[in-house]
Amino acid sequence: MIKVFIAGGLVAIAIILAFIQKIGIVKDLSFGAVRSFIQLIAVGYIIQFVFDLKGVLYQSLLLFIMVLIASYTSRGRAKKSPHAFLLSLISIFTGTFITLGVMLLMRIITTEPKFLIPLGGMIIGNTMNAVSIFLERFYNEFKERKNLIEVFLSLGASPREASKELVKKSVKTAMIPITNIMKIVGIIQLPGAMTGMILAGASPLEAAKIQIIVIYMLSASVAIAISLLALISYRFYFTPSAALRL
Amino acid sequence: MILYKLSSVTKIKSGKKILDNISCEIDKGKIFVIMGPSGSGKTTLLRLLNRLEDPSEGEMFFNGEDIKKIDVRELRKKVAMVFQIPLLFGEKAVDNILYPAKLYKIEVNPEEVIELVGLKRDILNQKIDSVSVGQAQRIAIARSLVLNPDVLLLDEPTSALDFSSKIEIENLIKDLNKNLGISIIFVTHDLEQAKRMGDRAVLIVEGKKIEEGSIPEMFENPRSSELKKFLKGELK
Ligand SMILES: Nc1ncnc2c1ncn2[C@@H]1O[C@H](COP(=O)(O)OP(=O)(O)OP(=O)(O)O)[C@@H](O)[C@H]1O
Ligand SMILES: [Mg+2]
Repeated sequence: MIKVFIAGGLVAIAIILAFIQKIGIVKDLSFGAVRSFIQLIAVGYIIQFVFDLKGVLYQSLLLFIMVLIASYTSRGRAKKSPHAFLLSLISIFTGTFITLGVMLLMRIITTEPKFLIPLGGMIIGNTMNAVSIFLERFYNEFKERKNLIEVFLSLGASPREASKELVKKSVKTAMIPITNIMKIVGIIQLPGAMTGMILAGASPLEAAKIQIIVIYMLSASVAIAISLLALISYRFYFTPSAALRL
Repeated sequence: MILYKLSSVTKIKSGKKILDNISCEIDKGKIFVIMGPSGSGKTTLLRLLNRLEDPSEGEMFFNGEDIKKIDVRELRKKVAMVFQIPLLFGEKAVDNILYPAKLYKIEVNPEEVIELVGLKRDILNQKIDSVSVGQAQRIAIARSLVLNPDVLLLDEPTSALDFSSKIEIENLIKDLNKNLGISIIFVTHDLEQAKRMGDRAVLIVEGKKIEEGSIPEMFENPRSSELKKFLKGELK
């Protein structure tokens, strides 16, 4: 704890300096310092509590609640997209379930809470981002290209054919964040988990190995969720007789 | 022969009656004109005919068959549509001709189709954003002819064109009707155009069918006060 106070002292010095020089960041800095202190201690307690949950059932329940919250958040971002909550729920759940499931089956991870919960959290978070980007992008593109889609339909295209290009575009956009992470990881930025592991005394190679696994899991989950959306989401925009739902 | 039969068709959108209890018959092989002032429901009526929309109430028959029982892909193969503003897609004009052929896995000769609408072959390789509006509308018509439709639905296809292209497109449509036997259903609010083009017409005002008949009959002996007003240009 003493270390925390020393670090806190450094922040205090910074605040005093800022006060003397009147650069107007005193309030932000002091609020930020207090806020991050409270937040992180609280999260520490919560994670401690979760790690004490040895039962797989409890962990699964917690993961499912995380998926629900993520779906709700995703719906909030892609508000106008039809059935955004349901689509988010199905896709985030499937992506997370399959990747975690495969990792468990292959014995790459175990059901200890120290694996399932933080990994699950990262997977759910990244998948949620991609899903909400997809839903929002597809909705906006669709709205903009309604007339063109009707041209396709009137030429005899099925809903799938008529929205093919838009689906492709939305998939691409949704995959940008995760592919960017894969490109720059380790070069521009060491991921938080890896930094943490090295600080906690793991060998850099060990940390790198875990990080690779994490990145692969994230991209697998994102890819699964987005492929699923590409297969089902456009259907909600059409009637059974291949007309637009107006 | 009756092509379309509409019986008590009503269309409600966001609580508003857009089409109100419309019954009519459209003959095969003729040019049928849907006239009416702006916002009267002409486009909506036309869109029912290839099921881009469905009626809220009432029944529709195509060639005597309940339109809902016909596979919509088969229906749209027989009933082609040309929109008010020609929207081309792909990179070159030819992509627009190849698309429907690919959808239905049929062979098409793009040169033949493009000459059918009075364009030269070399336009096929022209970038779509470099063709004029009049050419674009012809390409849109060509694209709708690829599947050898029985019926062509046109929604004010000349409203974006200058006078001479307008007359050219009108003549093209008349030729398609006469030479290929394609039934034409044509939306316009242009009286002179209706007179030049049509065999029969229906007048729609505020979603209601006001009068229906042969073009000479309607223009020479209008029965309803609305048609009289419409002919005088008092209904806009
Ligand atoms: N989704 C909708 N909700 C409510 N009203 C609508 C909707 N779509 C169209 N309308 C209304 O229905 C009426 C008929 O529209 P429609 O496009 O069929 O008219 P139109 O006769 O083709 O007009 P124009 O000559 O201007 O093209 C209009 O008053 C229009 O505002
Ligand atoms: Mg219209």
